[in-house]
Amino acid sequence: MTAFGENLSAFYAVVRRDFHVFLSYRTRLVSQILTSIFSLTLFYYVSRLVRVEGFTTPDRYFGFVVVGIALVGVLYSCFAVSETIRQELVAGTFERLLLSPFGGVRGAVATMIFPLAYAFLMASVTLGLGVVIFGMELHWSTVPLALPALFLALLAFLPFGLFFCALTVATKQANIGASWVIALLSIVGGLYFPIALLPGWAQFAAEVQPFTPATELLRHLLVDAPMETSIGLGLVKIVVFAELLVPLALYALHRAIRLGQRRGTIIEY
Amino acid sequence: MSGVLTEADFEFELPAARPAGPMPLSLRGVSKAWDKGRVPVLNRVDLDLDAGDKVRIAGRNGVGKTTLMRIAAGLIDADRGEAAVWGTSAVASPERYQRLVSFLPAGDRGLYARLSVRRQLDFWARIAMVPRREVRARVEEAIEIFDLRELADRRVDRMSMGQRQRLRIAMTFMPHPDVLLLDEPLTSLDGEGAEILFAAIERVLDRGGALLWCSPAGERLDYEFDRTYMLDEGKLVRA
Repeated sequence: MTAFGENLSAFYAVVRRDFHVFLSYRTRLVSQILTSIFSLTLFYYVSRLVRVEGFTTPDRYFGFVVVGIALVGVLYSCFAVSETIRQELVAGTFERLLLSPFGGVRGAVATMIFPLAYAFLMASVTLGLGVVIFGMELHWSTVPLALPALFLALLAFLPFGLFFCALTVATKQANIGASWVIALLSIVGGLYFPIALLPGWAQFAAEVQPFTPATELLRHLLVDAPMETSIGLGLVKIVVFAELLVPLALYALHRAIRLGQRRGTIIEY
Repeated sequence: MSGVLTEADFEFELPAARPAGPMPLSLRGVSKAWDKGRVPVLNRVDLDLDAGDKVRIAGRNGVGKTTLMRIAAGLIDADRGEAAVWGTSAVASPERYQRLVSFLPAGDRGLYARLSVRRQLDFWARIAMVPRREVRARVEEAIEIFDLRELADRRVDRMSMGQRQRLRIAMTFMPHPDVLLLDEPLTSLDGEGAEILFAAIERVLDRGGALLWCSPAGERLDYEFDRTYMLDEGKLVRA
């Protein structure tokens, strides 16, 4: 048995654990689908009510915002993992992860897989509902390319979740400021409206995080929204963010755990 | 007395020779203070466990027993000194160290409330890096040994405290560790559960493993230890 095989088995165990825990709450999926339908309904009528500069038809704006809604779910799931880690600290299961050869860092990374996969599924459901119920038009010829693009986007979003996991391990509080960060990223990432409408300083903020290029690229591939830059440049930005931030976030989590072990505070919650 | 030494004068028992190599568990100069500048809860503690050793640490509540166990388990670091298993340091090689030891923390935590016994065991077997092809057999073995068959498909939040403790113990033994660290393992266990635990410990010792058991002073135990130490004012004293 190789170390790779053992690690794969451990990652699989974490994903399966989260899947079974998810299944044990039977109404969760229905509740989230209903939330998605309510959001789509709201923005469908907003798109009919308000004429947004830069969009030729209400349907163009609706397609734009549906992709944003789908993506914010993915972003939110990254941050929500810190709440899961907080629950694990309280339940003593994070302690058991530390007492295993798999360890806390790999345990936290593995804990992100199911929520991200689920967020990906919910993003697809949101797009599907947009198409089926509200007649949204997808740009089918480039939709398959959205899959690898979304995978890259996930890699670029993942470090935010890991940073907040590190913060949770260090402070024992989940989501300190996470809701602010999500709100900020929603605005500067152009979730509900084009970033061109933002003031200059906010447009700078739009350039220094991966959410904006990921959203722009996915909108282009899914609903044929025009891109400010080329597809290549968008991809490069996402890859660079992922390559820079993933190792940094992993290191931050490792340091937070080691600090807790040195001080003995890792057992606190 | 003639002053002439005979062979009989040399017939005394030599202390048992320590193996030249590293010990199953070795704590060297372990110190820990919770508040810097105050009296340490552990003060240069030394402890060696040989293969087959059953050692108990007793002491008053809050004297530092659990802290010592956590350091021995590699969960927290000592301020000074180190824990090693077969020469592998808990801090320098945590992944390898965790393949050699298994720690049952005191209390009833460390379980996923909404997973069944079988899923819980399967999860921890994989996290403990039990070889993939052995996972199912280990899970069934743990279910059998710790008499969890009737509970195998029951969720943890629907089990009694004693049943949960039996599951926690099963999880601790499942990776087949070299060193067992059991912190107040009899909590909530009935007589039958205790007997199952003692039998499981003997099997680990027969394989050349070692046991460090920790429980409060005054606990009545129907189990023989090779050595018992009292932890008091940061020092281990042979009882």
